Amino acid sequence: MDAQERIRQQVTGNPVVLYMKGTPQFPQCGFSASAVQILKACGVERVFTVNVLEEPEIRQGIKEYANWPTIPQLYVNGEFVGGSDIMREMYQSGELQKLLTGEKTPS
Amino acid sequence: MVTPEQVQSYIEKGLQCSAVRVVGDGEHFEALVVSEAFRGKSRVQRHQLVYAALGERMREEIHALSMRTLTPEEAANG
Repeated sequence: MDAQERIRQQVTGNPVVLYMKGTPQFPQCGFSASAVQILKACGVERVFTVNVLEEPEIRQGIKEYANWPTIPQLYVNGEFVGGSDIMREMYQSGELQKLLTGEKTPS
Repeated sequence: MVTPEQVQSYIEKGLQCSAVRVVGDGEHFEALVVSEAFRGKSRVQRHQLVYAALGERMREEIHALSMRTLTPEEAANG
């Protein structure tokens, strides 16, 4: 199975997926650490995380998957949400909490 | 080593901006980008425009870039 197909299965098979450097316990990059903290602050208990440092094919493939050159990357219900800057902005505005709890955002 | 001024000029060359401010230490950069091109675009689409302006440099020279992307109106209000 190629990297794109593995990524597709990961993001569609899990409600919340975070591609990061390191693990939630031991993040190896400040941006990944910040992403983990934000998810915790949102009260998310189950996150499927992928340590791209241990998966070179995913590390390269994930940049193509969402046309996004940096890591971390957050996916919710199969949709690419953003990197750590966007996660922080959405957390500060309350949008991320709504997205993660499945509440509809007023459009 | 890449300077914040270089990153700023890369962004300005690739994207019509009304203001760009970049600070950084040669590896990690923070950018504030104000552009008309962001109007009606999601946050993801806005960041993708900046990444596209940086192109291959984003993979090779720039280790990390944190950014805020605003339209001129948002910049004036915020």
